[in-house]
Amino acid sequence: MGISRRGFLGCVAGSLTAGLPLDRPRPVATRPRRVLLDLREQCALPESLSGYESALAGLGASVTRADARAASGCALLIVPAALALPATAVRAIVTCLGAGATVIIESGAGFAPSRDFAAHRVALRDHLRLHIEAPLGLWSAARRSGAVPYVDYTWPSPAQVRDFSRVVPLGRREDERDIIARVDGRPVALKRSCGRGDLIFLGSPLGPALWAGDAEARRWLFLTVRGARFGG
Amino acid sequence: MKKAIGDNMFAKQWGLEKGLELVHKAGFDGIELWLGDVPWFQLGTTDGEVRELRRKVENAGLVVSNVSTGLHWASPLSARDPTVRARAARIVEREIETAVLLGTDAILVVAGLVTEEVPYNEVYRRSVDALRPLGETAARAGVRIGCENCNAEHRFLMSPREFGQFLDDVHSPAVGIHLDVGNIHDTGFAEQWIEIHGPRITRIHVKDVMKKRGRCGDQSVYTNLFLGDNNWPAIRAALTKVGYDGWLVAEMEARYRHAPDQQFYDTAQAMDRLISGRL
Repeated sequence: MGISRRGFLGCVAGSLTAGLPLDRPRPVATRPRRVLLDLREQCALPESLSGYESALAGLGASVTRADARAASGCALLIVPAALALPATAVRAIVTCLGAGATVIIESGAGFAPSRDFAAHRVALRDHLRLHIEAPLGLWSAARRSGAVPYVDYTWPSPAQVRDFSRVVPLGRREDERDIIARVDGRPVALKRSCGRGDLIFLGSPLGPALWAGDAEARRWLFLTVRGARFGG
Repeated sequence: MKKAIGDNMFAKQWGLEKGLELVHKAGFDGIELWLGDVPWFQLGTTDGEVRELRRKVENAGLVVSNVSTGLHWASPLSARDPTVRARAARIVEREIETAVLLGTDAILVVAGLVTEEVPYNEVYRRSVDALRPLGETAARAGVRIGCENCNAEHRFLMSPREFGQFLDDVHSPAVGIHLDVGNIHDTGFAEQWIEIHGPRITRIHVKDVMKKRGRCGDQSVYTNLFLGDNNWPAIRAALTKVGYDGWLVAEMEARYRHAPDQQFYDTAQAMDRLISGRL
């Protein structure tokens, strides 16, 4: 799964110049293979949704922005900047995981009022057995130390992405072996098998970094999409 | 060209009426009203109170040149927190609403704020995205949004070409530049900004700048007209070249320690010299 930055850039540049997007020709499908779940008012950061959309388009990966009804049967489901998770969205996520899809849930609760965060936490715990802690501001400590609090990903390959000021850390009950990113030593992202699929949780929004053109964030997404079950 | 000065220049003990009287007596044509910076013009000031404010301005023999605000320093359009962003957009909307009530067609906005925490690329995209719908709101109201070039202060849009690209990306005829000829410091030349932006200039802030002096303690980099390093003959020539005939608005940071009213007279006279070209 490892790929160097030079290799990644070469691959992307090559695929673009050769007109070879990530998507290979395939039989006509009735369901989109990659879906961006638009939670509308429950998407806390619209720029995150735009970030995934533009980044995937830039990587030559077709993606459909849709509501929960259109998600079933997809190979990759991305839920950007989720705040509350409506029942239809939960059903779509669980169904996709059960069918073997990769599901990326990005928390958008970093800036949420405490009541909204509580609902977010309960939904993740009850439906996906994900345990999170209260949002954490990173910049008071960063100002003292003078260091930028980068999120360090270890999977699918090492990557450093700028923080988004506030993160939603994972709870202590999560299995250390599932952790794929930390910031200041705190776990903020995980990947684990769930049903027949893979669940990826991001406690620090990646979408805004994609939207702002962050190369490391795009590389992370590229490798994740490439490795997604049925996603290649 | 007409000349104005901001109501945020009034000494606290004067109050609105005495301040307006001084502005008129000093020879200004108009007043720039600063939303949120003075007690008589706050976000909570009602429409009725804003109309009363206009009446007082007109009774003093003045008109409102434009509506400005410093509120976006604390609540920028580029904030990551959606709640702060919504507040920032509401501030712009209130500026537009009050501009209509006050009979002016221009507002000032600090478009984005780059910080250690919120990086440049995010600020750029978020500011563009915020200004597009606000530009539509402004156009419907017959008002132009002037994004101020705060250069070193907001660490954003430092060159005139980049500022032009930013306005191209916003792509609204109702969004232009509120050009501050003092804010460019040592990073360029005000006269070139005027030439490049010409018809996109909504209003012009005038003050002078001491390019070799950074901010240090209570020392300001800014000073009164003709005391600093701006090339005023070149600025005046550029205004003629682009056909700018709008408001010049004095924005002084350093204030007179004694006889503060004298600064209004001196500034008005200096602006007369600038407008007449006797430099």
